[in-house]
Amino acid sequence: MNLQKNMDLLEKLTILSDAAKYDVACTSSGVDRKGTGRGMGNSIAPGVCHSFSADGRCISLLKILLTNECIFNCAYCLNNCASQVKRAAFTPDEICTLTMEFYRRNYIEGLFLSSGIMISPSYTMDLIYQTLWKLRQVHHFNGYIHVKSIPGADPVLLEKTGFLADRMSINLELPTADSLRQLAPCKSRSTILRPMRQIQNRITDNKQELMVYRETPRFVPAGQSTQMIIGATPENDFQIMSVAENLYQKFQLKRVFYSAFVNVNGNSNLPALPGGPPLLREHRLYQADWLLRYYHFHVSELLSEDRPDFNIFLDPKCDWALRHLEFFPVEINQASYQTLLRVPGIGYKSAERIVKARKRNRLTFEDLKKIGVVLKRALYFITCSGKMMYNTKLEENYICENLMRDKTQIPRDIREGGYQQLSFFDKEMRSDFQLTDTQILPPGQRVSSI
Amino acid sequence: MYIFLCEDNIDSIFTGIYDAWASRYGHANISLTTCPPDNYTLFSEYITVETDYEKSEKVARTLRARLGEETYTEICQAACALEENHGRKKAMDKADAIYHTIVLALALKDGSKVLNYLGEPYVNRVFHLSRKAGNEAHHLLGFLRFQELENGLLFARIHPKNQVLPFLGEHFSDRLPEENFMIYDASHNQAALHPKGKGFFLTDTQDLNQEMLGRFSPEELEYQKLWCTFFENIAIEARINPKLQNQNILKRFQQDVIEFTRGS
Repeated sequence: MNLQKNMDLLEKLTILSDAAKYDVACTSSGVDRKGTGRGMGNSIAPGVCHSFSADGRCISLLKILLTNECIFNCAYCLNNCASQVKRAAFTPDEICTLTMEFYRRNYIEGLFLSSGIMISPSYTMDLIYQTLWKLRQVHHFNGYIHVKSIPGADPVLLEKTGFLADRMSINLELPTADSLRQLAPCKSRSTILRPMRQIQNRITDNKQELMVYRETPRFVPAGQSTQMIIGATPENDFQIMSVAENLYQKFQLKRVFYSAFVNVNGNSNLPALPGGPPLLREHRLYQADWLLRYYHFHVSELLSEDRPDFNIFLDPKCDWALRHLEFFPVEINQASYQTLLRVPGIGYKSAERIVKARKRNRLTFEDLKKIGVVLKRALYFITCSGKMMYNTKLEENYICENLMRDKTQIPRDIREGGYQQLSFFDKEMRSDFQLTDTQILPPGQRVSSI
Repeated sequence: MYIFLCEDNIDSIFTGIYDAWASRYGHANISLTTCPPDNYTLFSEYITVETDYEKSEKVARTLRARLGEETYTEICQAACALEENHGRKKAMDKADAIYHTIVLALALKDGSKVLNYLGEPYVNRVFHLSRKAGNEAHHLLGFLRFQELENGLLFARIHPKNQVLPFLGEHFSDRLPEENFMIYDASHNQAALHPKGKGFFLTDTQDLNQEMLGRFSPEELEYQKLWCTFFENIAIEARINPKLQNQNILKRFQQDVIEFTRGS
């Protein structure tokens, strides 16, 4: 080990927050817990964002590594054992002090603790466990804790840690076993999926125990999440989304996160991405992820072997609707909740409000607007009391052309992004996304109308 | 038309609702407002509401019992919301919307469902007001910053548009039961005070000792520095995007958040 000695807290925090920033998950959601009247801390189910960093991402938790010392050699990671970076390690007490003092000043909603692998996976996991134990038992911290499972650590340690944490996660890192073997030779699918399964089973058992005896200690009450790096390896969107769907269905994950690849250590075996990280692709994956979790979509409806990547110009729901015009128009005052969910411009909350509100009044377009429906997208696909909003045609090219005039199809921050300037006709970007002309331009669409 | 003039606070609005109901003028002939009119309309009778905490409490009790805790909270949030008028068109009066929503709720078999009926203009207005106040309160649960003063008190200053102190006071009393803290709402000159181990209360802040607020505990600046360091380091350089940052934490919140004000 080449840990530096005599480092003060500020220097350690500098190194170990910098090293933790590529982990995406910073959510504090999924668990409602009242305060206990002693110590400090409570938790609310929707989670709370405490700040937004210069990259515009939410800061909810104190996201740090226990140490950036690491015996593994994952190619994409800045902390791999071959890289020449300053190494530091927190003691459990230092982490407790930072967490408690930040929490009482309301800087954070809790702790997100990850780590490089020091000495061995079990040694590292044990330090993580000790830290959590101190926070919960000595400092009576009752706020949110998200902790990483270290691949290859002793299952007994994982289990003990799970009773102290709200959420646990283990990163899948790359969508396929092949890519993982190439870029992270010290990790394998089985050292990642085995602990994931273990925690899943324990959560299920715990739910049963809680039904029998309500005072049973809770095991990972906010569930598990994972993360995949997007754009470092050649997988297409179809492969990535299929993996995500599997994780939701077979491992009951709460969230899958997608992280646009940044080549942090200039590794020549990895893509250089001169146009910046593939943010638009990441955005489309998140949109599709929501369609899986909240809108009852299946990956097979959105993508296929023949159409393996998302349309970059239209969000996945609009894209789906355009290819399924036989489904429309939908009558707002009659359609089922499931049907409403499929309409572009109607979110799951609006759909719920529509179903409740129409019990008393026949809804008009004016009402829909007030309810929160985005009419500029929805108007092509719906009727209110049998009438369309305007005299629009139910025709693919016509609707497509109009939808693409809506600039919000590509979010403003990506369109005008501070760092990455997007040009639709940028060759490099096109190759990043592995798109051909026919995929970029829907049939019948002329370049000039964009 | 009988028009009840209330002040813009929850107790006055609830008193107005009590008086309007008790007046028996008929709901269709009654209107409530929190804004004194510029021009008094002919043929309307104006009645000034005198805030009465007993009446307000009675209204609150009835709403809780008949509409349930959740709907009651939404109505309170609406009552605490700022009435913003966009453009020339005047939006429906807050107090009037709440009154007529309650009238409808009490006529329903299940009053707790009243906020479902968004096709009703009054209900829609209450829903929007409540959401606005609720959203701001939720943002402040995260954006509020405590500073530890010399005497150990945790002090936070906020400039909210809506009167969100009751919601913040409740949240932080549950979260920090063993702290003495004070949340100062500088827009409405009110504060929520929480003495260690007790419940919180609201108070006026005329005689707030401004000088005391500038004297920090010895460790305070150290933790601020640690936090700001963390804040800078956690951003990914390749994704720097100030537009997105300002979209997510609006400038009006930034003024009270140390990592944005403490130039480093």
